[in-house]
Amino acid sequence: MLEKTNRDGQLLRRVLLATLGMTVLLGCEDRAPEQTPQLKVYRHAMDQATVDLDPAAAATIYSTFVVNNVYDTLFMYKYLARPYALKPNLAATLPEVSADGLSYTIRLRRGVKFIDSPAFDNGQGREVTAADVVYSMMRHFDPATRSQGAWLWQGRIQGLDQWAAAGADYSKSVSGLELVDSHQLRIHLTRPYPQLPYTLANAFSAVVPKEAVDHFGREFSRNPVGSGPFELVSFDTSKAVLRANEGFRSVPVDLAEEGFDPAVHGELGIEAIAGRSPPFVDELEFHFVPESSARWAAFRRGEVDFTLAPNEVLDLTLAQTSPPQMAEELQTDYRMRVATEPAVLFNIFNMDSEGFGQHTDPLQNERQHALRCAIIAGFDWQQHNERFYFDLGEIFPGVIPPDVAEFDPNLSTDSVIRDVDYAKRLLAEHGWTAENLPLLTFGVPGSITQRNIFEQFRSFMLDIGYPRDKVVLQQFATFGDLNRAWKRSELPIINKGWGLDYPDAENILQLFYGPNRTPGSNDGNYQNDQYDLWYEKASVMQPGPERTELYRSMNRLLIDDCAAITGLSRTQVLMWNRRAIAYPDRAMVGGFYLRFVDVVED
Amino acid sequence: MRDYLLKQSLNAVALMIGVTLLSFSLLVYFGPDQTYSLLGKNPTPEQIASVHQQLGYDQNFAERYLDFLKRMLVLDLGYAQSSGEAVSSLLARTSMISLALLLPGFVLGHALALLLSMLSAQYQGRWPDRLISMASMVSMSTSTVVVIIALQWWLSSSGDSGWFPVRGWSTDSVIDYLRHIAMPTLALVLVSVGYHIRIYRAVICEEMGQDYVRTARAFGAGPVVVLFRHVLPNCLLPIITRVVFSVPLLLVSGSLLLESYFGIPGIGKVSFDAITNGDQPVLLAIVTFSGVALVLVQNLADALYRWVDPRLRVQT
Repeated sequence: MLEKTNRDGQLLRRVLLATLGMTVLLGCEDRAPEQTPQLKVYRHAMDQATVDLDPAAAATIYSTFVVNNVYDTLFMYKYLARPYALKPNLAATLPEVSADGLSYTIRLRRGVKFIDSPAFDNGQGREVTAADVVYSMMRHFDPATRSQGAWLWQGRIQGLDQWAAAGADYSKSVSGLELVDSHQLRIHLTRPYPQLPYTLANAFSAVVPKEAVDHFGREFSRNPVGSGPFELVSFDTSKAVLRANEGFRSVPVDLAEEGFDPAVHGELGIEAIAGRSPPFVDELEFHFVPESSARWAAFRRGEVDFTLAPNEVLDLTLAQTSPPQMAEELQTDYRMRVATEPAVLFNIFNMDSEGFGQHTDPLQNERQHALRCAIIAGFDWQQHNERFYFDLGEIFPGVIPPDVAEFDPNLSTDSVIRDVDYAKRLLAEHGWTAENLPLLTFGVPGSITQRNIFEQFRSFMLDIGYPRDKVVLQQFATFGDLNRAWKRSELPIINKGWGLDYPDAENILQLFYGPNRTPGSNDGNYQNDQYDLWYEKASVMQPGPERTELYRSMNRLLIDDCAAITGLSRTQVLMWNRRAIAYPDRAMVGGFYLRFVDVVED
Repeated sequence: MRDYLLKQSLNAVALMIGVTLLSFSLLVYFGPDQTYSLLGKNPTPEQIASVHQQLGYDQNFAERYLDFLKRMLVLDLGYAQSSGEAVSSLLARTSMISLALLLPGFVLGHALALLLSMLSAQYQGRWPDRLISMASMVSMSTSTVVVIIALQWWLSSSGDSGWFPVRGWSTDSVIDYLRHIAMPTLALVLVSVGYHIRIYRAVICEEMGQDYVRTARAFGAGPVVVLFRHVLPNCLLPIITRVVFSVPLLLVSGSLLLESYFGIPGIGKVSFDAITNGDQPVLLAIVTFSGVALVLVQNLADALYRWVDPRLRVQT
């Protein structure tokens, strides 16, 4: 018995030793540094991954963050100026616009070169010319490119759509894209398009060399050859590493020109970059971290320098929400900026849908208008904001968000204040009962948050008398599938967010322009002749009080027509390590500011 | 032997046709439609039709399936619809990373489970057995996400410890590699060891009750000799089955959660993205190679069975 016990003890010890050995093996590490210490590295965390680096596919903020840093656009936004203002980038000056607003003459900087690449004959980058700008715009219209950015210039530039229809032959020129000389081009428009310069600051318009597109073929999307401040070193599903483009032109920072305001930016140490030429860091890393807990843990550990504060930690991050203030214990290590997104979250009614939309019979039309207005009155924006946006979002009437110059601060807020009694009264007055209310299908992409958003929406509708079984959820596997349902006009209500592509309310108002109906951008198939008239008039006007008034009139018309449950702009809490000198931004300008970021070593 | 190889080859071809046909049908009829993910904001009907046609959605099922088979035969896997990367290089790059990520945890998990199962079986019904069984239950019941988040907080970011990086991937040096796989490996071992123990313990306990074990003990063989020399060889068939059939998972499916939370660019994340985006070239390549891996593994398992059990050689 004693012998057996001894043998058992020996076995136990051996097993424990083996387990301990493995544990030691697991734990052994010597804290090797992650990169050469003398390099200045800025690490930027993003909540989704960039998948495609071809400017023609730069449709998401995640793509534009990388694209804007490896490529050049003709114009860019000033680093610090708000409202956003353009300045020349690859262009030498802002464009010269003809008196009729139909021609834009643009001169390019001389001596700007693409990075070295095997795509070029001798492997060395050549000078960027006006022909590259023309080519980069034309390829958006080539079906082989499968561009997501052609809509910026569709129907706007003389001969471009016809060139595409005729087979997209690059040996043929486009009348609206005139090469004046090697460094000057003139764009001829079919009708005035005051937003054109904004489109030329968009990542879609980044200038690419034809040699690289031809050389890399489909894999051009992973082999960017640009003339931007950085060049790509590596790229995968978790990280993109960029290093400073040594040949990048010298353009010393003029802080006054960039919109520096000591009252706003004085605390950030930005004065340190005055007179120096970007980029200021040796390496720029993008870390793609969709999991908020991992992103926050990496940020707190110092593995990334920037993150959007995840909703889950906002109660730890903020000492108070109104006005937002960072928790004291974080202030020694981090800086914070609370910024409203230039975007709108809204639920647009599909005017083609049975029961909700516009109707040819005036009486029925009035009933359905009342139904839409009742649904709007039943929606509780305040609660929606509290539940899903930590009460940080900005609620506003209509579709023009507060971040846009045309926003009307004096517009009545009645349309965003919940009034259940009014909603019930409207339904009763127009003969709507639980029995005859139409089925309200709410389509969302499959996620728990989206499901919760639906449940909240349904609870609002129950309050105004909608039967539970008539407010139903339809989940879609992907956003693409949901988008298909919108484009096929299959859903009565379209709950979506729209981020501005440029700081001009026209970009949102076009969503309700009749000729843009599905499959165009007017997913709600809204149709109002008066609206269309005003839109057509405003869309060719240069910015000014008259155009602003037209925009605001269109906005009021949408509210009166009860075209959408609108709206809210999300507020983001941007946090960055104090070692980084930066003024982060996540708006439509997409990462343009990263060339100005510097880091100071501890 | 020739008949055996012929039979195996025919089985393999039938399996491959079945796997590809089923997966292709599911993708075509139930998979996401990528058209509307690849379009711009204001598409015209012509642009929609153009993308639809470029994706091959306008062809009939038979044409598409035959075209797919032809391309697979010549290893022309095409390009990922989402990123434009050649599928062959995408899979080669990411499957190697997943292998490097999962192999240590795979080996350690099985080895540890085997040792603990033997210990458990040796002390069947006594406190070491009860302790190991309870730990195994805890391991099986704990969510992988919870384990990962807890490890990230305890071993990476809490206090000033920061023993390992919270996330990231580097194979620049052995030390770098070890630092980056330490936590994923620990997480993998913690969540998988429970399942392994449950199976291995049952197999070993059953074998421990056999007459030859009693005889060996009667002849004075110690527990180590009994376990390693007599019991373990007789348990090898189910162990081989479990280990060998897990290998394709290492190469093809990776581990989505480990890769996502630890920021590792492996094949698990690529597979997940391809499924959610409906990226057919990537998905079909993954499914096809899973089928190939399964066929290879089946044959490997057969060979190993015959090697460890001479009776099977005689039957063949």
